[in-house]
Amino acid sequence: MTIDTALYILAGLPITIAVTGLALIFGAIIGFPLMLAAQSTFAPLRLLTVGIISLVRSVPPILWLFLIFFGLGSGLITLSAFSAAVVAFGLIAAVNMAEIYRGGMVAIHHGQYEAATALNFSKYRLYCDILIPQMMRVSIPSAATYAIGLLKDSAVASTIGVAELAFRGNQVSLQTYRGLEVYAVVGLLYILLSLPIAALSREAEHHLRAKVSR
Amino acid sequence: MDALLMGVTWEDIRSWLPSFWSGFLVSVRITLVSLAIGIPMGFLFALGVQVKNRGVRYLCLLLVEVGRGAPALVLLQFVYFGLPSAGLSIGAFVAACTAISFNTGAYTSEIIRSGLAAVPAGQNEAVMALGMTRWDGLRFVIIPQGVRVAIPALLGFAILVFQGTSLCFAIAVPELISRAYDIGSMQFFYFPALGVAGIFYVAICIPASFIVSWAERRAGAYSQR
Amino acid sequence: MKASPVVKLQGICKSYGSHAVLKNVDLEVQAGEVLAIIGPSGSGKSTLLRCINYLERPDSGVVAVNGLAVQGGTEPKRNELFLLRRSLGMVFQSFNLFPHMSVLQNVSLPQQRVLRRSRAEADKVSMQLLDRVGLADKAQQYPGRCSGGQQQRIAIARALALDPKVMLFDEPTSALDPELGLEVLAVMRQLAESGMTMIVVTHEMGFAENVSDHAMIMADGRVIEYGASRDVIRSPKSERAIRFLRAVNER
Repeated sequence: MTIDTALYILAGLPITIAVTGLALIFGAIIGFPLMLAAQSTFAPLRLLTVGIISLVRSVPPILWLFLIFFGLGSGLITLSAFSAAVVAFGLIAAVNMAEIYRGGMVAIHHGQYEAATALNFSKYRLYCDILIPQMMRVSIPSAATYAIGLLKDSAVASTIGVAELAFRGNQVSLQTYRGLEVYAVVGLLYILLSLPIAALSREAEHHLRAKVSR
Repeated sequence: MDALLMGVTWEDIRSWLPSFWSGFLVSVRITLVSLAIGIPMGFLFALGVQVKNRGVRYLCLLLVEVGRGAPALVLLQFVYFGLPSAGLSIGAFVAACTAISFNTGAYTSEIIRSGLAAVPAGQNEAVMALGMTRWDGLRFVIIPQGVRVAIPALLGFAILVFQGTSLCFAIAVPELISRAYDIGSMQFFYFPALGVAGIFYVAICIPASFIVSWAERRAGAYSQR
Repeated sequence: MKASPVVKLQGICKSYGSHAVLKNVDLEVQAGEVLAIIGPSGSGKSTLLRCINYLERPDSGVVAVNGLAVQGGTEPKRNELFLLRRSLGMVFQSFNLFPHMSVLQNVSLPQQRVLRRSRAEADKVSMQLLDRVGLADKAQQYPGRCSGGQQQRIAIARALALDPKVMLFDEPTSALDPELGLEVLAVMRQLAESGMTMIVVTHEMGFAENVSDHAMIMADGRVIEYGASRDVIRSPKSERAIRFLRAVNER
């Protein structure tokens, strides 16, 4: 592999990171109200949300990507490949983050609600002061694991022509007929990318554990 | 909505169904083959990362980390486009099964390993105190209990494998997504064609996820006994 | 003439990191003898018991059972461990029955795998032993359906089924309600009367005093009192043993 092709592949790095990062931020924000809605006492809202979550989760990412890029693109709104990827993965990340938040909420001991009620906390205070900090402690490690999963899923964006790592690897492989080493390098890059996320998650978990110690 | 459906008719959709059905069968076949190869492979990896022999242990660890760490799409392309450049040419279906089996093996090894680890230490002590061999202990005591713990997670992973077969689009295996894409591009009915493919996935995955949560509840009830 | 001991430990030492759990412990048990090991928690009595069948590896010292001596501090051969454990049955505090097998299978499978008995033969032995511990009617149940006392009696039957020379009991009643503990103690007393050699780590002073021949008090990894059980429990000599026994009696 020459320096030029190596640099060409590496230029996909920021794009992979951008797709993953933007989708994750979108998902982390939208996931929260989704989780609340999925736990709502108002049945129609709850059922609708639970339905959306299981619908999104049961369809593979590549299909969402195609539906948004080719499907919507051919009839309604035309999105760039990059935007389509961010929207598709953002949607998927949102429902997965909602599930992760839900897991965090479920892990909170029932006594915490009773204590807050006994102390006459308002609903707002209950969430801000009691539930969210504890939920975060449980959610962050799972969110980090999910972020690594999302990073790898983002390779699918290459199929609609987003010029990220896998796309560039594919192009170089087709031009040079050196697929073996090119794909090995690309695979390795994904593994290397996931290392700092894992480290960051350990750091955050450590930090939160100290802060929200039991 | 009309803009999305682009005037597709029921006749159109009905005419696509045979193609979708055979694509669906391809997806199912890849899933079953990959599970049949991948889960035993996961078993070997799970045991392999715990053996005393360093060479074997590190090799298994490396394979598991690569199988879990690299995107499934890249593994797929590595096998299909990469291996021929090393003089090993294989068909798309075989390539798909190879890559997804390996991916399955790496992931399920972690599921199986944590299932085995969930068996209380006292069980192994009883095995040793009774003078049973290590292998007998694994075979009769540890594995049967560990597998019971792992089954819900393995079923859950099987759903992900089925969804993962969609990636085979990238190496032109004629599975569900490829069929939808072909129909979409030929007749420019992208949205309806992709939607029909989606219905296939939903029809499998949502009932399957109910089975998984049922298995989870059952496993929970079992551990209560 | 004194018979040679069935179990003989010499100079057993064991540390976890810098913490010494056993400090040069000796122990001798004759055939047919029942030895009770008592002492405060953390005194090393369970660790000592687990050194006998090598669930814990002593750092130094010699474990000799039924004429087979294993030198501590070295990697024991697999065959040595097998022979050692062949003559030792063990009963755990937490029973450790196999939850996925029926009661009968729990008792039969080890016989089939370790003694190579046929299934029919193993089942026959199992039924006799289950009958002996009063649980023949539970043979087809799963352990999870049995009370703790029943599970412990099944565990005793499982260990006996392999024809051990010596039975080791690691706090067999500590996880049980007093009432359920009694049924286990009754089985153990019956076993002692039948002439089985037994080493019992326990908190049950009644058992230690009335059933066992000898008693041994441990504290801080050492044997601080040893002798005929009545003497040890009624009139201990060391100050530490007096303090321990007083604390037990005050409860």
